[in-house]
Amino acid sequence: MSEQVVAANTVQATAGRSVLIKLILFSLSLGLVPITSFFASQRYMWNGNSTYAAITAVVSANIVLVAYIISSVLEDKGDTSETMRKSTMDTKKQQ
Amino acid sequence: MSVCPPFAPFFGFGGVASAMILSTVGAAFGTAKAGIGIAGLGSFKPELIMKSLIPVVMSGIIAVYGLVVSVLISGSIRPGEYSLFSGFTHLGAGLACGLTGLAAGYAIGIVGDSCVRAYVHEQKVFVGMVLVLIFAEVLGLYGLIVALIMNTSAIGGDKCPTI
Repeated sequence: MSEQVVAANTVQATAGRSVLIKLILFSLSLGLVPITSFFASQRYMWNGNSTYAAITAVVSANIVLVAYIISSVLEDKGDTSETMRKSTMDTKKQQ
Repeated sequence: MSVCPPFAPFFGFGGVASAMILSTVGAAFGTAKAGIGIAGLGSFKPELIMKSLIPVVMSGIIAVYGLVVSVLISGSIRPGEYSLFSGFTHLGAGLACGLTGLAAGYAIGIVGDSCVRAYVHEQKVFVGMVLVLIFAEVLGLYGLIVALIMNTSAIGGDKCPTI
């Protein structure tokens, strides 16, 4: 019983680590992606037209937001399927 | 009264500052208010935290709107050849983006707080929460669009009369 508790706690800790890494990644990209896309697109794509560069920056920021929403929904789906699988295995073991 | 008075950049940089400051105030309020709800949720169900951080990310987007507008405006202010017309236009653009960002951040904060607390009890609130948050953030986007349109009317090099 205590082994299972220890295993569950370590899984919890490692899952917490991956969540933290994902959050740090999204925070950094939300800060860096719009500004770099503004200046890069202004120089290389739109020939100095700053309005189109601003639109590109806004679109890229919204892409980061949509990616965050999708990743949080997918992670939740993965967690629920994992817990359902574990609960079926537990019921089988108890039988 | 000259077309390019020396105090014209005051209004231009006032627009730059107000775009950044006001949208950041809105984003800070949104983050703080939603964070209160997330802290309440986290003590009951910590596995829902990733989904409930969506209001915080949307508040960050509001601040990014203000950042983009202030970078955009400050890139076209030059000393000596800056007309008062451009100064007023940039001030209007900065205020449009900043105050709409303030409103959007306020809405995101209140909606995020109460929807995150409801999400603890009922999982199906999630879709409704995302929809309301998107509508609240689009308010900031409207301000950004108006700021961009106003800024394009000030682009093109000011013809300051050389004495």
